[in-house]
Amino acid sequence: MTSLTIIARVADGLPLAASIQEDEQSGRDLQLYQSQAKQLCRKLNAQSPDRCTLEAGDMNFHYLIAKGVCYLFLCEASFPKKMVFAYLEDLHSEFYDQYGRRVPTVTRPYSFIEFDTYIQKTKKSYIDSRSRRNLGSINTELQDVQRIMVANIEEVLQRGESLSALDTKASNLSGLSKKYRSDAKYLNTRSAYAKVAAVSVFFITLIIYVRFWWL
Amino acid sequence: ADGTNDLRYLLDLARFRKVYLLPDGRRQNSECSGSDSFKCVMSLSLLRSHSRTCPSCLRPWGGLSGVPELEVEALSPINLLLERSLLPPRPLEAPEPNLSPDLKKVNCSPQTFRCTLSSIPQNQALLNKARLPLGLLLHPFRDLQQLPVITSNTIVRCRSCRTYINPFVTFLDQRRWKCNLCYRVNDVPDEFMYNPVTRSYGEPHKRPEVQNATVEFIASSDYMLRPPQPAAYLFVLDVSHNAVESGYLKFFCESLMDNLDKLPGDTRTRVGFLTFDNTVHFYNLQEGLSQPQMLVVSDIDDIFIPSHDSLMVNLKESKELVKDLLTSLPGMFSQTKETHSALGPALQAAFKLMSPTGGRVTVFQTQLPTLGAGSLKSREDPNQRSSTKGVQHLAPATDFYKKLALDCSGQQIGVDLFLLSSQYADLASLACISKYSAGSIFYYPSFHYIHNPAQLEKFQKDLDRYLTRKIGFEAVMRIRCTKGLSIHTFHGNFFVRSTDLLSLANVNPDSAFAVQMSIDDSLADSSLACFQAALLYTSSKGKRRIRVHTLCLPVVNQLSDVYAGADVQAITCLLADMAIDRSITSSLTDARDALTNAVVDLASAYKSNVSNLQQSGLVFPAALCLFPIYILALLKQKALRTGTSTRLDERVFAMCEFKTQPLQQLMRMVHPDLYRLDNISDQGALHLNNTVIPQPHLLHLSAETLSRDGAFLMDCGNTFYLWIGKCCHDLFIRDVLGCPNYASIPTNMSHIPELGTPLSKRVRAFLDWLQDNRAFSSMIHVVKDDTSAKATFFQYLVEDQSESASSYHEFLQHIQAMSK
Repeated sequence: MTSLTIIARVADGLPLAASIQEDEQSGRDLQLYQSQAKQLCRKLNAQSPDRCTLEAGDMNFHYLIAKGVCYLFLCEASFPKKMVFAYLEDLHSEFYDQYGRRVPTVTRPYSFIEFDTYIQKTKKSYIDSRSRRNLGSINTELQDVQRIMVANIEEVLQRGESLSALDTKASNLSGLSKKYRSDAKYLNTRSAYAKVAAVSVFFITLIIYVRFWWL
Repeated sequence: ADGTNDLRYLLDLARFRKVYLLPDGRRQNSECSGSDSFKCVMSLSLLRSHSRTCPSCLRPWGGLSGVPELEVEALSPINLLLERSLLPPRPLEAPEPNLSPDLKKVNCSPQTFRCTLSSIPQNQALLNKARLPLGLLLHPFRDLQQLPVITSNTIVRCRSCRTYINPFVTFLDQRRWKCNLCYRVNDVPDEFMYNPVTRSYGEPHKRPEVQNATVEFIASSDYMLRPPQPAAYLFVLDVSHNAVESGYLKFFCESLMDNLDKLPGDTRTRVGFLTFDNTVHFYNLQEGLSQPQMLVVSDIDDIFIPSHDSLMVNLKESKELVKDLLTSLPGMFSQTKETHSALGPALQAAFKLMSPTGGRVTVFQTQLPTLGAGSLKSREDPNQRSSTKGVQHLAPATDFYKKLALDCSGQQIGVDLFLLSSQYADLASLACISKYSAGSIFYYPSFHYIHNPAQLEKFQKDLDRYLTRKIGFEAVMRIRCTKGLSIHTFHGNFFVRSTDLLSLANVNPDSAFAVQMSIDDSLADSSLACFQAALLYTSSKGKRRIRVHTLCLPVVNQLSDVYAGADVQAITCLLADMAIDRSITSSLTDARDALTNAVVDLASAYKSNVSNLQQSGLVFPAALCLFPIYILALLKQKALRTGTSTRLDERVFAMCEFKTQPLQQLMRMVHPDLYRLDNISDQGALHLNNTVIPQPHLLHLSAETLSRDGAFLMDCGNTFYLWIGKCCHDLFIRDVLGCPNYASIPTNMSHIPELGTPLSKRVRAFLDWLQDNRAFSSMIHVVKDDTSAKATFFQYLVEDQSESASSYHEFLQHIQAMSK
């Protein structure tokens, strides 16, 4: 079964750890999913819903944001959702224990790649069908998965794009208005100068006239 | 290192004058600077040796440092027919390029990056006129004592040619820099204005990137296609009857067991084992099992992986099981009667097993593969081993191994081959698996754990180094050069992915590369030419890193300057690579002719263009005076010789070595260093960390220099031979070898005992010092003058005539006749 787990820092989308399992057949698609996952990590921010499922063809992205760290899991759409979130919760508690404090300070990508070992082991325990039944029954009550938002990956990625388009438009608009404002100011000063000049010319003429012709 | 070099020059010089110039030896230092007074008393060869070693001349032999008299000296024509002692007292150093002292100080070390011409000719016409090849020799992943590692968010690179910022760029002002390869003007990013070393702001030219020609960057995630993979090692072991007979398995298992904790990696490191005879065996080492489980796949025509996640296991978690397997493995097959070898299917299985992560596959093979895909037939005719007509079957018999290697390279799998065979195993075909997947090849002819203890010891020592040396995964290397120069041929083990990008599934610190270049556009606009090699790799700890080397050389427009800056060793190595390509694509005879012609062409080009003296005889520029000796040595080397009985596999292996060994190692293999040891003294010795290392003089490789009452050490790169003359003084034999007299020296002596005598200390200090400078430790063989091993020693005396090849003097006469 193909699956992809990425742990990233929400603030700047820096990947912290990852684990990939691929099938022999689906090697090509994984590249695409990987780049989508990367984009997604960059898109997410503090305002994003902290639990979400994103549909991407016959695969689903599930993510969980906790304490500034995003836990992203890609798996087949048929995979039970509550299991996924139980798995992500599990990853979070262990990851936070081990590396939580160091998360804000690291700069190198995949600084905690050694967490891969734990990810793989945990994943196996959730995916292995025998243990799955047991775990599943335990977690049914714990996880209220109905309330988790479902969206489409394309929408999310594109929403980002349209938002950024809006953003550029808005900033263009504000730029234009600023220019208008400065232009207007300039015009105002110019007309004021013209008035002053006209008046002074009149008075100078008057003075000269009075001085030379009347006296 | 510079300090010790200078020291060595000083010491050499001191000894020099004691021997040749001033017997009183007191006023030496004051005399040295005024070198003019010496020149009149020194003979020509002395003069050359002096300038090679004199600290007042500030540079070794060859380059120009702007002082006119030196230029004349580097160019001084030498009549090779008259001048017999050409060797410098110490092994040759790379010529120093004629650059300003500032640039010289920061330039890349010649051990890492070397160019055949340390002064680059201005255009192709001048290069053609010089009749010398233009190329680079690189040893990019060499073990380094110190290396500046840079972590920063933005790696500063040229926007058009993607060159990394380096010491040879020019800063136009505080905010702009000009690329030295494509001359584009780039902005300096804000972050670059801050210098983390001095913690100061506004000095971009003091950043470590601009102060060092060799730096390493920690790469950002832009440089990653996928998350860094764990270090993965798969061992593919031959367990057929032949393999069990040779007895390698036990020693491999022992060695791996000892080095298990030293394998490069972190907590994610994975290992796996696979054995094969006529079937392929997998080992389930999943954590939690009580003992390793063996899974046998007998369908070798359609190989499949029996279990997906338990064959490559986490070393840390399954360490007990791995140890268990290593202890039981040698005994498991001791009774096997299976003689067939299904190497091809085993490699296919290894490929499938490693595909998801990539990593290193180490293959141990002891015979010709006979079953399944990739099976081979014996092609060698033993009667043709010493034919002079040319050698057949240097090219692979099947493309199976090449194709598989390319698949491996695509999945970031490097395959290293250990061939331990006593029979012909068609290395020409097998080697392809490593050649195209950037692996390394090791060959132990007639390996047997009892009958050949020397090979066994070498195997063990090599394994120790092999298992613990650094490794880089998922690597690519790109070589960029100044606009106008272009790279057209690469030599080494790799896959060329695009015109200047080499794909290296694995990169190891012991392999080197060579490239050939041509000059497309005139370089007249600039006075400097630069070359940059960037190696992007994932370290065994899961860090993505970029190692960048930059070399800067002057551009010249005079033929005489080109000759003065020629690097004779680099030229020899590059020509050897070219000759090997030629011998595979065309024929060995062709390749040999081409090498001889290279000498002839140089002699006539030099005579007609540069040397205006009406000298008769064979005239060569001083910088290239060793060229004919080196080429002659090359023609007598295992890879290229004819007439002397050479097994095909040994020949092919020698060729593989030429392609991958670093320059210094290669030069010792081509032209071994010969020293006299029985009169070794501390005169002129090197002082390093409180140890005194004697520095005996290099001797010409001719029986003339040997004497019956002496003991001589020959350093052939991977072996030392200590030849003891028949009348060698008992004192030396007793003090160094620990035997009472010549007759009592055992015939197969292969170590020097640790004795407390001053002579023994000196000899061992010298040997240890020679060993320190190489990656794989060399074996030492004591050769008595009256044993059969004597022939092995004498075949390296390349200046002498052998039954099938001419002597140096004859060779020179041949060259002279041809160049008229």
